[in-house]
Amino acid sequence: MVIKMIANFGKYFRFILKREGFMSSIWVVSLTAFSAIIVAMYPGLFPTAEAMQGLVATMNTPAMIALMGPVYGIEVASPAMVMAQECLIWLAIAVIIMNIFVVNRHTRADEELGRFEMLASLPVGRLANSAATIAFSFLLNLVVAVLIAVFLIIIPIEGATITGALVYGLSIGMQGMVFAAVTLLAAQLFSTARGSMGVSFAVMGVAYALRAQGDVADNVLSYISPMGLGLKVEAFYSNDFLPVGILMAEGVVLSLVALWVHSRRDIGAGIFPARKGRAHASIALRGPLGWAVRMMRGSFIVWSIGIFALGATYGAVIGELDNFVENNEMISQMLMAAGGMSMVDAFIAMLNPIMALIITVPLINCIQRLHLEEKRGRLESILSAAVPRIKLYGSFTLIAVIEAVVFTCLGALGLYVTAEATGTVELTVLLQASLVYLPAIFCMIGLAALLVGWRPKLSLAVWVVACYAFLMFYFGRIFTDIPEWVRKLSPFSNTPELPVQEFTATPLIVMCIIAIALWLVGLLGYRHRDLGR
Amino acid sequence: MSTIQIVNLTKNFGKFTALNGVNMTVKQGEVHAFLGPNGAGKTTTIRCLLGILKADSGTVKLFGGDAWRDAVELHKRLAYVPGDVNLWDNLTGGEVIDLFLSLRGIAVDRSRRSDFLDRFELDPSKKCRTYSKGNRQKVALVAALSANAELYILDEPTSGLDPLLEKVFQDCIIELKKQGKSVLLSSHIMSEVEKLADSVSIIKDGRIVLAGAMNEVLGKGTTLEELFLSEYAGR
Repeated sequence: MVIKMIANFGKYFRFILKREGFMSSIWVVSLTAFSAIIVAMYPGLFPTAEAMQGLVATMNTPAMIALMGPVYGIEVASPAMVMAQECLIWLAIAVIIMNIFVVNRHTRADEELGRFEMLASLPVGRLANSAATIAFSFLLNLVVAVLIAVFLIIIPIEGATITGALVYGLSIGMQGMVFAAVTLLAAQLFSTARGSMGVSFAVMGVAYALRAQGDVADNVLSYISPMGLGLKVEAFYSNDFLPVGILMAEGVVLSLVALWVHSRRDIGAGIFPARKGRAHASIALRGPLGWAVRMMRGSFIVWSIGIFALGATYGAVIGELDNFVENNEMISQMLMAAGGMSMVDAFIAMLNPIMALIITVPLINCIQRLHLEEKRGRLESILSAAVPRIKLYGSFTLIAVIEAVVFTCLGALGLYVTAEATGTVELTVLLQASLVYLPAIFCMIGLAALLVGWRPKLSLAVWVVACYAFLMFYFGRIFTDIPEWVRKLSPFSNTPELPVQEFTATPLIVMCIIAIALWLVGLLGYRHRDLGR
Repeated sequence: MSTIQIVNLTKNFGKFTALNGVNMTVKQGEVHAFLGPNGAGKTTTIRCLLGILKADSGTVKLFGGDAWRDAVELHKRLAYVPGDVNLWDNLTGGEVIDLFLSLRGIAVDRSRRSDFLDRFELDPSKKCRTYSKGNRQKVALVAALSANAELYILDEPTSGLDPLLEKVFQDCIIELKKQGKSVLLSSHIMSEVEKLADSVSIIKDGRIVLAGAMNEVLGKGTTLEELFLSEYAGR
């Protein structure tokens, strides 16, 4: 019976390899290269043992723990160990995102587009597709895990061991595996690809939030979250393989559950059926702006909730800050040395660029939606209805700008709601400190619009800039010898970090002008270029 | 033994009853027309036949086997063309055809494949994303016709085809009939159906309202179109 369910598994697997080969190679190469470059950079970071101890002390603060996980082995810290503590979670997030995309593309997305129906009419087992997809993602994760480990062994970095490299790579790979299974299950439960992908990302967000809470408070939440559990391998220190085994077991069990659900349902249907809609367009849907708003409505709701929740998560951490400082003499001294800077203020100043970067993601999506509609061939019917191009281009920009303001306020509000009880934060300060990032966000919107206007095929470039901004935020703090202008290429690095730094209007005004210029140039392109695929 | 035998098939989607006791028989070697307006239940019935949807009650048999339970074995003996063909942007039409044939576990019959490619004037080396609707339809048709199956299930196979290619399609069906193959043909083009079909089932609101041999169903001087329209008069 089981064999019949997965009849033609092998051919299907090869078919996925063929479809997926190119995209997956790009993922694997970039992930491995990213990991290898970081490994190569780390030894140069610590000219002295003191320098390393200083960094470890910074990492051992609640804000950093909430961001990247707990610190271990302080007394015997080595470059490899510090690298593992700082980088495991980011690589894991990247691998998880890869898995969500891959699994969703081959399951619910195929089914929604009706391609799966033709395959199902052939002598192919009911579960062949799901089983082959999960097997493929398992292989993919294994390849990523092994390659990351191999480069850790090849590249000289003090404190690296083969066991440590393996446990580090496998933890990343197995976290990916768990989320491949989560996505496979979501694909069975929800009848649209957007729905199942949104839910998978939401699960990732919850896992990260649980881990942040659990790691700061040092409680069981860290073990419940797969992302928290993955950090418990303590690479290059205790090298514990047990979490890897548990993650793998979680992945297998979740996959089996998903396959079981799949074997019992109709193709095309989800367990949660799509709702019945209205017979008439509401007034809100009339006109190009109304149409654009409707296109972005679902994503707006989901991101609003997500960003508020993320703010609230970080806000909850603020409550733990005071305890932490009291119990940690070294940190107290560091704060004294920094001129009595408040711990909470430092935390907020560090948090806001991250929040701003996260908020940029849905905004770029919003602008690129205009091109997605074009690519899917759905824009023709809109444009053929006497809609000028500037209205379409303008509608999506307007939505992105409004979303930017709303999301930023929601993040600050979320932080305030949970941190208010500590009596250490003021809403106006929080709002100022986060809203000051709007010009930088507008620059990203402008760049996205420029690309959609002139060369939509190069849309990926805006994500490259976003990654660059993240790296600058991240490494700008660690590598103090990065030239100023390299850092300043990222709009986010030009924003005054309130409330720690002084407010200066000049960079903000300049960024607004740049954003408007980018948008206008993009408009010129969009009005004149051929629309179509 | 009938090629297709559906008895009292019922299928609900939540509170909505899509099929309400459908009965249908297709004998071996006949072309059976399956008619009905959009939303009457044609595609749902076909999906139950393919084991893509699970019947809530009633029996659905293909070649005497259970359409849901024995789906994999039965699919080796049938070929299907969906009404709305969606393909993979980055694969070529030729690759898709070969993939479908290879999933049947048979060697690709190159002469048969190139014969149908010629007849339908399809360039198999183009990526699917560049195909128009008609060309995507041709990919599915060539893949199905090259398969040498016993039963062909065709769901509005000519939507998007030009009149010249529609003629080619009709010739292909006539050839299949001569070879003793069975065909279930769902279509909106009455003249096409009248020319090709031996028997007919008309579905309305999830029930079969009229079924029988074509020459029995059509009285003297009535066309299929008139019959179909009268069935829905005053709806």
